This record gives sequence, C-alpha cells and structure tokens, in this order.
Amino acid sequence: MEIPYVVTPRKDTGLFNSKIAIWLFLASEVMLFGGFFSAYIFLRIGADYPWPERTLPVLPGLINTFVLIFSSVTVVFAWASLKLRKWRQFQIFMGITVVCSVVFMVFKGIEYNVKFHHQAVRLTDYTVIEGHLGKEKEDGEYVLDHNGKPIEEDRIRIQATGLTFNTVRYYDQWILELHSQAEHHKSKILLVDDVKATGRDGGEETIAKAGEPLSLELLGRIQKAHLEAKTHNSKLRRAALRQEWSQAKDENPAKRGWELASGVAIDEQALAPKLMTEIGTVDFKVEPPARLDFRPRDIREGASESHLRDDTIVRGEMLASPMVFHNVDAIDFQHMAMKAVEKGMDPMTVIENSWLLKNHAFAREAWEWNKGQVAALEKQLLEKYGVDKKTGLPKREPTATERYRIGWKDFVSMANGVDRGEAKIAIKEEFTGPDYQGREDKHTFPHLTVPREQVRFASKFTPAWNTYYASYFTITGLHGLHVIGGALVLAYYLFFGRKMFESNPEWLANRVEVGGLFWHFVDLVWIFVFPIFYLM
Amino acid sequence: MADSPEEIRKSVRIYLLVGLILFAGTVATVLVATVPWLDIGEHGFDMWDCILGLAIATTKASFVAAVFMHLNHEKKAVYWVFGSGLVFAAFLVALIGLAKSDPIHDPLFYGGATEAQIEDKG
Repeated sequence: MEIPYVVTPRKDTGLFNSKIAIWLFLASEVMLFGGFFSAYIFLRIGADYPWPERTLPVLPGLINTFVLIFSSVTVVFAWASLKLRKWRQFQIFMGITVVCSVVFMVFKGIEYNVKFHHQAVRLTDYTVIEGHLGKEKEDGEYVLDHNGKPIEEDRIRIQATGLTFNTVRYYDQWILELHSQAEHHKSKILLVDDVKATGRDGGEETIAKAGEPLSLELLGRIQKAHLEAKTHNSKLRRAALRQEWSQAKDENPAKRGWELASGVAIDEQALAPKLMTEIGTVDFKVEPPARLDFRPRDIREGASESHLRDDTIVRGEMLASPMVFHNVDAIDFQHMAMKAVEKGMDPMTVIENSWLLKNHAFAREAWEWNKGQVAALEKQLLEKYGVDKKTGLPKREPTATERYRIGWKDFVSMANGVDRGEAKIAIKEEFTGPDYQGREDKHTFPHLTVPREQVRFASKFTPAWNTYYASYFTITGLHGLHVIGGALVLAYYLFFGRKMFESNPEWLANRVEVGGLFWHFVDLVWIFVFPIFYLM
Repeated sequence: MADSPEEIRKSVRIYLLVGLILFAGTVATVLVATVPWLDIGEHGFDMWDCILGLAIATTKASFVAAVFMHLNHEKKAVYWVFGSGLVFAAFLVALIGLAKSDPIHDPLFYGGATEAQIEDKG
C-alpha cells in the first residue's frame, strides 16, 4: 500500500502529512512543558523556604547549552545536505548531531550522579549542612550489607531483643539484611513459640517449631498457612452473610436493603468452630541481643520499640545513632535566618546561638571568616553605589546567600587564605564537585558528627530534598528523555537511510526535516531550562 | 521554504549566522547573571535579572523557531496548530495568577504573620 502525501503536499493543509503531524505533536509538547514551567513558578513563588539560587554548577550547564545549539545547527545542515543530494555530507552532519546528544547526556549523567551522592541535612534549628557521609568501618575494613555494599554512617541503631513480623507485608530484602546483621554479631533470630494452626478438618497442625531460625522459607511457610486460612474464613463469612441477608429479605419483603442493614449480622459464635487459624504476626527473639542498624527512612524509631515500614516491630533500646559527615562542604543558615525574621527575631543572634556554632569550633571559625567577607562586601557596595537618599540605607546590599551560606568554594578560599571567589578551582571540580582527597592536607572540608536528635530532615540531593530539586529532576529528566528519543530517530536516519536516499531522496529529506523539527524543539526547551535552573 | 539548491545554499549561511547569535546570546545570559558590573537592579538576583534573562532566552528561542524551524515562512496550518498550543501554555502559566488567593500566600497559613496580623484575624 502506498502511503499518501509523504513527498507531495496535501491541497487543504499545503503540507506533507508527517509535517502537520509533528507540529500537532510539538503543540502538545509546548503545553506539557508549559504546564511544568507553570508548576515551577507556582512552587517558587509559594516556597516556604529560601529558594536555592544559582546552586547548580554553571560550567557543565553552559557547555551543554553550547552542545545543543551546535547540534541544532548541524541537524539543519544535515537536512540541507539531503536537499542538495549530498549523502556523505549528510552523514557527517547527522553523525555530529548524534555525537552531540551523547555528550549532552554524559554531562547530564555526571551532574545527576554528583547530586545523588551528595548528602544534606536540615537540623531541628533549621541549619542546613551539606557534604558526604562516612562509611562504617570495623578493624579498618568496611562493614558490608547483605548485598556486599558499604554502609553509610547514617543508621538508626537498636540493641534488638525481639522482632515481630507481619506475615503478609514483610519485605524479603530486609529479612535478608536482618539475618546478615545478626550473623555478623554472632547472634541468632529465633522463633519464640510454636506456630500452631487449626486446619480445614478442625485438627491442630504445627506450622513451625519454637527455636527455628529466621528465614524466608519459614516466613513463607507461615504466610502460606495464614493466607489459606484467610481465604477459607472469608468464604465461610461471605456464605454466612449471604444467608443472613436472604433470611432477612424473606422475612421483610417490603423493606429496602438499607432499612435491613443494621439488623443483618453473622453469628460469629456459630461460625467459630469452622474457622481456620489466621496467623497475622509472628514473634522472634534475638539471642543474644544484638545491635541492628536500619536506614532512617525505613524506620520510625522509639525509645524501646520501633516500627519498620513493612509493619515489622523491633523491640529493644535505641542506641546513639549519629550522622557522621566525613566532609562537610557547605553550611547554610538561610532557612534559619528566614525563620528568625518570621518570628521577629534578629537572625544574627539566632545564628550565633545555633547548635552548630556552639558545638563545633570549625563551624565557628568558618562563620567568623564569612562575617569578615560579608563586611568587606558591604563596604565595597557602599563605596561603589552609595546610600539611598530617601531611606538612608545602602543602595546595594549582600544577598541572603552571601550573608548566610558558606559553600564549598568558600571553604576552599578559607583554607587557602584568600578572599571569597578568589580560590583556584580545577575544571574537574566544576563538574564533579570538590576534590576532597586532594584538599585534605589543608583540612578544607571538616568532619562533623550530628546527633540523631538534632536531625529534622535528611536526604541526598534528590527530588525528596525540596521542591526546587523535584522540579529540576522532573523537567531536566523529561528533557533528557526527549534528547534520547530524538537522537535515536536521527541515528536511525543516519544508519538506515541509505536505501531510501537512493530510491526516494525527497522522502528521506522530509523525514529528516520532521526529526530535525523535534530536535530544534528540544534545543528550544533547553534555552529556557538553562537560565531558569542554573542562573536564576 | 527554501527548496531550490540555490535557495538552500543561501539559507545555510543564515543558519550559521543564527547559530552564532545563539552562542552569543548564551554567553550574554551567563555574563549578566555572574559578572557584578553587568548586574542590573539590586545586588544579586532580582526581578530585573529575571526579566533580562528571560528576554534573552525568548529572543534566542524566537531565532530557533523562526529560522531553524522555518516558522518565518510556513503554511497557515502550522501557525494555527502551534499557535493554539502556545495560547494554552500561556493560559496555564497565567493560572498562577489565581494563586494570589491561595492559602499558601497567606502569612497566617505558613507562619510568617506578625503578631498584629494574627490579632486582626482574631
């Protein structure tokens, strides 16, 4: 079958069909991205925390912008080459375009990777600390979890004496992890009592015996018996209820269902002997009691009893569970200052009395250095721009970020004894963040232990951290998917277009034009993404 | 649209020129955002920096749309289709205006109210 209007335009639209189709698609894309940008503006103007400004590394963003613009030029050159029937030239320009898309995604990947490994914590007094957590070590060796990965020093530690599992909701991976940890401490997790159940025939059956060690097989066995009992009992209950309803309707044919509802109930006592035993939970003991560690997001900790997200109850005393930063690379008092102003308090006084400044000498030193830098900037702005005659206040003042945030480049400046913004930063550091090891000799990035009770919220720089990062990952992630999709289509023309070029070059030129239109749109979106997320 | 080989050769020069304008626009955006003496309005990021940054971005986007995407000489159908998408997107952005009456902007809601404001509201 011949596809109509792939080369010649339709009379009514004046366009070949795929062109009108791509424009319809681009119109829907404008609305999609428009919706996301609109959500971004809404979140930004309504944010109840200091919005991060110019927080992303500009250089990788700038290079990516250049890469996309360059690829926009090469894709249009590729199309022009086809129009001039120059296959070799088309291959070169299209090849460059596809390479540009790969370069773009590599830079994006590096940027995401840095964010996913960068830790932030908001303290109860709204101080924000950023950096990298240490890894658990024992006798100089990393402690590994059941998957063989090192464990970050950010765990809730419990001296566990017992565990109660929900037999339906328990999570396999956590069972394996608990097993591995108990084994590490030479402890055993054992079933407390025999698990007995009444079977279908009314006879009692032992599902598991007291003292059996915790395993997925054991829990699976109990779960099977429990679910069988639930299914059986549910059937009996439904049948009994149906019977009750029939009886009630037969006795009161004139009444409506809702009028009878309150009088219809199952006779539980009569039903009880026929029911099988449901085993909703099962108790285990930890022998001897051992320290079990949990990721903070998996557990709601209590002094003597804690709950995991899969409904497992952990019995035992909570031990000291600090977050340990091996490298602190930013201290941010902006949120604290904002809260102080809301309460009508002086931000500087509140900051001076913060937990961090009172307990850590390095933080105090950095803060004093920062105050000196802010004072110098204030003086410089005053000399340059003067005072507003009406208000009597300086025309220009340092921003909240300059006043209250000590970023990683500031730590580098401080360690090297130079003023803010004057430290030498390696190009690699602009992409992947500070070189912690290389700067260790000057103790640039301090060590910090944060007691658990000081932690309000902690997260990596992922969408969970705040609405800025949620918008950033949503919009740049969606844009990245467009880059991948567009590059695949263009690569298809590059590698599989030769046959069409020889049989119907105009058709191929039209296809490339349509693919190119999509590629330009991807560039067009980035033209807005770059200033909005990286510079504003 | 350029269809004859001659016209296409001419267009290629324009594509190159637009590419250079886009590069220059990008450099300008970064400079106005990072170089202190190019900082308009207040010190640091403010409304004027936002307006200037978005104005440069819009200009760049217009060049891409007009020249690379050939919107400077397209058929009516394309203008209607793409134009209606833009109108809807603009409408979505304008909806933010409704947020003025949203409780998230109410200082009593998020805790930024002064004591006098709280007393006023009873």
